[in-house]
Amino acid sequence: MASLLRNGLLRTAGIALVRPHRAAACIRNLSQETSPSATATEEKQITPFEEKVELAPLSGVPEEQLSTRKARIYVPARNAMQSGSAGTRQWKIEFNTTERWENPLMGWGSSADPLSNLAVTMSFDSKEDAMAYCDRNGWSWEVEEKREPRMQAKSYGANFSWDKKTRVSTK
Amino acid sequence: MLRVGQCSGRVLRAVTTCTNIRSASQAARAPEKIEVFVDDKRVLVDPGTTVLQAAAMVGVEIPRFCYHDRLSIAGNCRMCLVEVERSPKPVAACAMPVMKGWKIKTDSDMTKKAREGVMEFLLVNHPLDCPICDQGGECDLQDQSMTFGSDRSRFTDNYFSGKRAVEDKNIGPLVKTIMTRCIHCTRCIRFASEIAGVDDLGTTGRGGDMQVGTYVEKLFKSEMSGNVIDLCPVGALTSKPYAFTARPWETRKTESIDVMDAVGSNIVVSTRSGEVMRILPRLHEDINEEWISDKTRFAYDGLKRQRLTQPMMKDESGNLAPCTWEDALLRTAVQLHGVGGEEVGAIVGGQADAEALIALKDLLNRLGSEALCTEEIFPMNGAGTDLRSNYLLNTSIAGVEEVDVLLLVGTNPRFEAPLFNARVRKSWLHNDLQVALLGAPVDLTYEYTHLGESPSVLQDLIDGKHPYSKVLADAKHPMVVVGSEALQREDGAAVHKAVSALAQKLRVTNQAEGEWRVLNVLHRVASQVAALDLGYKAGVEAIRENPPKVLFLLGADGGAVTREDLPKDCFIVYQGHHGDVGAPAADVVLPAAAYTEKTSTYVNTEGRAQQTRMAVNPPGMARDDWKVLRALSELAGLTLPYDTLDEVRGRLREVSPNLVRYGDVEDANYFKQAQELADLVEGKISASPLQPTLQELKDFFMTDSISRASQTMAKCVKAAAQEKDSKHTEY
Repeated sequence: MASLLRNGLLRTAGIALVRPHRAAACIRNLSQETSPSATATEEKQITPFEEKVELAPLSGVPEEQLSTRKARIYVPARNAMQSGSAGTRQWKIEFNTTERWENPLMGWGSSADPLSNLAVTMSFDSKEDAMAYCDRNGWSWEVEEKREPRMQAKSYGANFSWDKKTRVSTK
Repeated sequence: MLRVGQCSGRVLRAVTTCTNIRSASQAARAPEKIEVFVDDKRVLVDPGTTVLQAAAMVGVEIPRFCYHDRLSIAGNCRMCLVEVERSPKPVAACAMPVMKGWKIKTDSDMTKKAREGVMEFLLVNHPLDCPICDQGGECDLQDQSMTFGSDRSRFTDNYFSGKRAVEDKNIGPLVKTIMTRCIHCTRCIRFASEIAGVDDLGTTGRGGDMQVGTYVEKLFKSEMSGNVIDLCPVGALTSKPYAFTARPWETRKTESIDVMDAVGSNIVVSTRSGEVMRILPRLHEDINEEWISDKTRFAYDGLKRQRLTQPMMKDESGNLAPCTWEDALLRTAVQLHGVGGEEVGAIVGGQADAEALIALKDLLNRLGSEALCTEEIFPMNGAGTDLRSNYLLNTSIAGVEEVDVLLLVGTNPRFEAPLFNARVRKSWLHNDLQVALLGAPVDLTYEYTHLGESPSVLQDLIDGKHPYSKVLADAKHPMVVVGSEALQREDGAAVHKAVSALAQKLRVTNQAEGEWRVLNVLHRVASQVAALDLGYKAGVEAIRENPPKVLFLLGADGGAVTREDLPKDCFIVYQGHHGDVGAPAADVVLPAAAYTEKTSTYVNTEGRAQQTRMAVNPPGMARDDWKVLRALSELAGLTLPYDTLDEVRGRLREVSPNLVRYGDVEDANYFKQAQELADLVEGKISASPLQPTLQELKDFFMTDSISRASQTMAKCVKAAAQEKDSKHTEY
């Protein structure tokens, strides 16, 4: 019970600070569920439902799994080996690495961490969704902002410009 | 939790301001935009935008082999052919600028047919060795032939001549070549000549006889050669050390930070069951774009050798013998009981993380000692390290692209910070940046004006007597970079004074815009900025002058202080990850985690805090540095008030908030005040030439305890040294 209380307190402290996102996420979700044309006033009316749904006490996850793990919400980096950008648009949740070892039977990688595959199996359309998911499950989280490559102006003609260093004489 | 709340709040604000700016500029520039349609999606683009870029703006990805965002346009693979309405032929999207009203169809029958045809030609001469190819699973050719290729083959070898075969080239110990697989995209050639600045690669022959290579067998002599492995869209260039060790789908990717130099390149650490398999670059436009240096990429095998895996203590015969954590910590704690004040000191090396630095500082401060030093020297006269602007790369790495005149003083950025050098080269190539170098004349891969080797030239530059003063005076955005090594000479303080005087003069006389920063210090080690931010003394002078009874070496492998410099009864504790220079002299060795094995904070030379992330567990009994120090503090009766990483970071924030604002550059100011304080510095600049230690390629590879333990790096040193004697090398 004490641990539950502490958890709750911790989380309330967290919520107080992250409220802008959470509130926005909840309002949007709710408004989508209730009616697509919900006006601002209607949104205000339903804010009481922002009351948190806590899955942590019900899920039976050991307390130390909740208090010692920190979720990192991020968008995976593009694989530098390939030019495609698949898999770099959705948000993922990842936890700190725990011990892994080579399974003596097959030589496969083993882990005792039930959360280690969360990044593989789950993805979110927005970071707010991921934050809300973490909050509901009782994990503290941090967000790493998405990195977009900057587009550079380029021209084929630069290869042949006389007075620029971009001119290529050989290939 | 607190931190997260603040951070996300700040980020949100940043985002909103960004969008405001963007919408404002869009409104201003709106008339000159060109309207085109990509797959019936309307997009407004700047004139000169290519079809491929316009498509990318609406999220349509056009397949390509030769085109790369950061290289010049070659237009030779033809994979990006797309249909444009009312154009009789498909156009090469990568090279063709869009015209007003164009309707681009990336999914039409003509486009599909063009792609299929290109794919068919490429595969005629491509071996079917995907199962034994290291690129298998992350191969552009493999993926694109699945997506855009034909489902049947028309290839019949009528004359039984077999497929085209090309001899493999030996271009060094890092890049493995299987040239039969090459599809002649010329990405590697363009990377070598444009980004790396070495024209080592090229093509010979034409048509079916065309070959990519070095013409004569020689080393691909670049400090960034490994990037061609990433660039190669097929398996022609692969990693030699990684060959046949893992498949991409078996590995887990951990997004982390490199600590081999002070640039803080973003990396992805690929691991498989507790072992680092390889290291790849990760996009960060403001630091490394998407390149990394060879040391960053290939020194990882050093993480598996020469490691300290268990605590050790000196036995009666004076040999280090393995022991338990309890014994090692207890012995150290007992030693700490008897001492106080300046009788205990600490020296930190180049790869110590901020969490360990603060834990060590708190511990020693509790003992009453302020003798906390970094191995790297930095002049403490004048404002010294009290003003951050004195020791940061204030202009920032990305800022180099705005610079018009760059003065390098006593540094060889090519090997001290390869990615910084790549940025300078980029700016030299595209923005006509003028570079001047004061110091040993080294090959920087771009042209520069050599102002001499002696730092006394600085005085002439300040007085305006030097012929180059005119160029500096005319600069709109000047930048002065002094290498940290130039500040480690006897006259380091005077050099710093002269450089900051010059920078301040340029700042004032050139009326560079209010926020423009001229003075820059280029550090060589990853830990230095965080250590100085936390209040460590730069240089081991304090330890030498006042030898302590107990000395902590936190990853100090530079050999700044040896046993001979200390009294016989000095008790040395070494904490670190490699049995390198520091550990053999110690009485107690505490094994710690290397940068791939801990989640920790590093601040790069710009003052940007970033996190490494734990990819694998520390080997054996090794533990996180701060945890070791926390345990020791408890045994010594001076328990440090933090038990979790978040609490340590809370303490970091108390001392220096910028250390936990990850991803942000914390700007520094007070240049004028720093300059005024520097004016008080006594001492004269000596005439001896500025000679950076890292002058040639062979000097670059082994600079810290990890790269010194790496066999790959040893092979590189050997190859680079042999290359000097090669008859094909010009000097």
